[in-house]
Amino acid sequence: MTSSILTPARARRRRIGAQWRAPLGIVGAVVALAWILVACTAPLWVPYDPVAQGLPRLQPPGPEAILGTDSVGRDVFSRLMAGAGVTIPLALLLVGCSVVLGTLVGAIAGYAGRWVDETLMRITDLVMAFPTVILAMVIAASLGPSLFNAVIAAIVVSWPQYARVSRSIVLSLRGQNYVIASRLLGYSPARSLWTDILPNVAGPILVLASLDIGTAILLLSGLSFLGLGAQPPTAEWGSMISGAMENFDAWWIGVFPGLAILTVVMAFNFIGDTLRDAFDPLARAQSIAANTGETA
Amino acid sequence: MHITRTGTVTALGAVTALVLVGCSGGNSANNSSGDSTSLTVNTSFTIETADPGNSYDPTGNTVAKALYETLVDFEGSDVSTPVPGLASWTQNDDATEFTFTIADGRTFSDGSPVEASDVVFSLERIQAMTEAKPAFLLEGLSFAEVDDSTVTVSSETPKLALPALLASPALGILNADVVAEHGGSTDGEDTAQEWLDANSAGSGPYTLDSIDLTSQITLAENPEYTGEHAPGYSRIVLRNVSESATQLINLKGGDADVALDLNGDQASGLGDGFTVDSVPSGQTIFLLVNQDDEVGGVAASPEFASAVRTAIDGDGLLELAGTGSVQATGVIPPGYSGALSDPVGQDLDATAAALTEAGYDGETIRLSFPNDYPVGGVEFTPLAERIQDQLKSAGINVELAPAPFASELDAYVNGTEQMGLWFWAPDYADSTNFLPFAPGLKVGLRAGWTAEDNPAIADVAAEAYAASSTEDRDAALSDFAAQMQESGPFIPLIVPASNIATADSVTGAAYNSVWTIDLAELAPAE
Amino acid sequence: MQKTAATRSPASPLAGFLLRRLGTSVLLLIGVTLVTFLLTNLVPGDPVTAALGEGPASDPATREAFIQAHGLDKPAPVQYVMYLGALLTGDLGRSLTTGQPVVADLAKAIPATIELAVAAIVLSLAVSLVLGTLAAYRRGMVTDQVLRVLTLIGLSVPTFWLALVAFYVFFLQLGVVPGSGRISPSITPPPTVTGLYTVDYLLNGDSVGFLDALAHLTLPVLVLSLFTIGLLTRFVRTSVLEVLDTDYVRAARAKGLGGWRVVSAYVLRGASLPILTVVGVAFGALLSGTVLVESVFSWPGLGSYSYNAARNLDLPGIMGVGLVVGVIYLVINLVVDLFYAILDPRVRLS
Repeated sequence: MTSSILTPARARRRRIGAQWRAPLGIVGAVVALAWILVACTAPLWVPYDPVAQGLPRLQPPGPEAILGTDSVGRDVFSRLMAGAGVTIPLALLLVGCSVVLGTLVGAIAGYAGRWVDETLMRITDLVMAFPTVILAMVIAASLGPSLFNAVIAAIVVSWPQYARVSRSIVLSLRGQNYVIASRLLGYSPARSLWTDILPNVAGPILVLASLDIGTAILLLSGLSFLGLGAQPPTAEWGSMISGAMENFDAWWIGVFPGLAILTVVMAFNFIGDTLRDAFDPLARAQSIAANTGETA
Repeated sequence: MHITRTGTVTALGAVTALVLVGCSGGNSANNSSGDSTSLTVNTSFTIETADPGNSYDPTGNTVAKALYETLVDFEGSDVSTPVPGLASWTQNDDATEFTFTIADGRTFSDGSPVEASDVVFSLERIQAMTEAKPAFLLEGLSFAEVDDSTVTVSSETPKLALPALLASPALGILNADVVAEHGGSTDGEDTAQEWLDANSAGSGPYTLDSIDLTSQITLAENPEYTGEHAPGYSRIVLRNVSESATQLINLKGGDADVALDLNGDQASGLGDGFTVDSVPSGQTIFLLVNQDDEVGGVAASPEFASAVRTAIDGDGLLELAGTGSVQATGVIPPGYSGALSDPVGQDLDATAAALTEAGYDGETIRLSFPNDYPVGGVEFTPLAERIQDQLKSAGINVELAPAPFASELDAYVNGTEQMGLWFWAPDYADSTNFLPFAPGLKVGLRAGWTAEDNPAIADVAAEAYAASSTEDRDAALSDFAAQMQESGPFIPLIVPASNIATADSVTGAAYNSVWTIDLAELAPAE
Repeated sequence: MQKTAATRSPASPLAGFLLRRLGTSVLLLIGVTLVTFLLTNLVPGDPVTAALGEGPASDPATREAFIQAHGLDKPAPVQYVMYLGALLTGDLGRSLTTGQPVVADLAKAIPATIELAVAAIVLSLAVSLVLGTLAAYRRGMVTDQVLRVLTLIGLSVPTFWLALVAFYVFFLQLGVVPGSGRISPSITPPPTVTGLYTVDYLLNGDSVGFLDALAHLTLPVLVLSLFTIGLLTRFVRTSVLEVLDTDYVRAARAKGLGGWRVVSAYVLRGASLPILTVVGVAFGALLSGTVLVESVFSWPGLGSYSYNAARNLDLPGIMGVGLVVGVIYLVINLVVDLFYAILDPRVRLS
């Protein structure tokens, strides 16, 4: 394991880095906020109803529809904006659920130890023994294609990483004096877990979560692209791209939703990356090592 | 830091090399597919075996058509008039006995002659295999060898449709000796499928070279072929390309010479250098409104179905289907006997009246449909979205319930969909194939529609089945089609075009509703 | 990185570690079979109709025969035992979509995906070792910052969209790469030795085939690699930074040793262990990527196979893919851990 002693060289480098990193985080935050604003307000100002089919089909971008129309005559721009309100809240929701579920499982495993730990960790191992998209795809297909089921499938594949991280932190804290002291004072294990340990888990978990929002958006839109997520006529970015496959020459149907996904995911990744640096430049190395060391 | 730079250069070099190889490889691929003796066809595979006797899928039919010949044939796209294939025939007045005479000089791919015993063997083999999908075609028929070149086929009931039926590629004639040697038999214990999945034993213009049911099938010219449609290529490769967009790209990029599954938009946007054969297929896309109260709820009435029928704007749907598709005028598609001449047309006043009569008050109706199974290039998802939009303007609220074909099929077959968007393809080229829409029959029951619900239509259908003269039959069929449009639970929407797109270097492509395309009719352009 | 208490074998700590590690893998393998089995039992649709088609499925006798033949009428635990029993004899059942034995289907699909994944891993590693080392050496400088933004973008691109755009631009518009599939239609597949077309063509001495197969690999590999290059570059950078801070490297550099010798002899060697670990992770990301990329490029590998199986409720197919993918994953992690144990004795004793 790496030492966390701050050598003078490392301290100097971190200062240099910080000058560069903050702008990246700010750019990310601005773009993400802009998209969230769009997600909340789009229905109020988009030029057309995102599911109405009043326009001529397959119109290239022009004055009537600035990003063109799709194969049944809907406005691509209106759908693109409305799509933000579908994907972003769901991605946040699913990351939130994974965080709560994963952190709890990890904390319980780490705190209880023994067979509880063993059982829970073997379960996380099992889930992590499958590539995420393949597992999520099979689960979503089994449950039946719908956006709700896609979110469930995504939660199932994404909680274990939080369990891993929170367990390792809890394990390292369990032996700390103040935790032992709290037990000696007669506080219940639940209280000790809640007041002494969880607050320490929060930081690293939040960093991980901020980086996971992008992954969640990619996973959800990927499932929708495969037809296992959002269903018609919902304006969702992944399914808009899959609709574009039928009409390759109408490039505007698919290119813009892809750019939308790219910019949102990038914004959240910029934020996450900056946050991680703020917490600890080496946190990632440790968390990845913790994640993979026991994968099999 | 010169070291790192070297590293970068190496990595860049590797990438560049990969890309350059890509370029040269790409070009050579393009050149070689322009080779006049090799033809590449892209289609979305629906095939389970190359044994015609066990196959009943579109791609299976295309392949069987090239490898084997049938007693009866169709010319080009015309499936209304059966013409002699391996044999010519005569029939008795009751349409219960048919005598087939095999043409002179026809040979199998091993050089041996096609004889009456081969015909009887091939057809009896299928009859004996109860699990074989085409077996139902031969129900109630018996075959007898008269001499080396004559076979009689007898039917228990009048069977005007027999010649058309015998044109099904599944009923191709096998080389009896060769197939029997590899496990073929007519006692139901047939084990020849495995061998026929790797070899062919037919008299068709091509032979089976190699087959991989999930990716590609290669056919080679049959040097012993003695029939009319001599093979135009020494080698034909059928590739499984499931996305129509990819087929379009392959065709445009020169990786394919023929694409079978383009949709209307893709076909009409092809431009110079390509030829598109667009003809209405024999398939009909329709809506069903379940008449069973338990399933249909408020929608379970002929009035509600009629409200939907008059709420649909056929032109608006046709726009999505593209070039060559036509509006359905009834459950019998144009080109088949009994087909009506005009569609119902939109009439929103009639819709409002019918809705009042049906007691409908804005309830949400669930529309189920398969979303991964385009028919004649028509995607069901945009079609359903457009229907939802049109019905909404007519005051009918619909929610869409798409599902993969495989998982939704069950609900459709068992008649548990409140409203469904499906398609019907004739099993063989004859109008009696549309009678199952009648109440109490196969498709009728899928809409929860029993014979008691509409005895009049049930009677007309029975009449059409039993007819022994063409005139009686045609009259019954027209009557059937008209009454179905009047009070049936089905709303026929579109007869999609089949778009066969070919590079200009290929001639002779014609769509046929039974075997999609006769590969033997293709030849290099001069 | 094994955290369970070490039962030290006095004879050989490495052998003890090996055994323990293998034991865990076998347990996980059984778990994998259980998960794949349970998943397929969730399926709400009717696999009988899906498999037989509408005609035969409406015939009760055919239906009954199918159900009997596949043991679908038995209770789930019995079905699981039947499944395990068949597994031991190498029988994964018959796919309901292709009608072929699942083992035969997988035998064709696995090499196609391995070829794609290995090429992508090799390319990603080569590029990211260079870029990551560069970023670490230039820490905080413009190069580092630019690479940081680029790798973050690489991690943010939706793979399926990139595949479509790349296909459209490079094949359709520019025509510099060939279209979909593993080889051009006019070319015959090589005789199967390894199942990797490029290798088999080379073994067969067929240069035309080799170049064609390589050309078809190019675009899917580049698309797949973008994500892993982003992932690996960032990791290489971190690992190299850690090594740069160690005393022996600083000593070597202080002595005036510079450039390539330090990089190869000290830095990359020191960073190789953590990099090795992350290759395992990257491989998982690649397998996930193949589902989306293979379906765009009509690449007949595990990704398209699993997608088709999942869409068509092909239970034997889904179970087969789940099992194979789980096993591939387990084996990769096992190999990574073993390398770790061999290269770093501390692991065994931890």
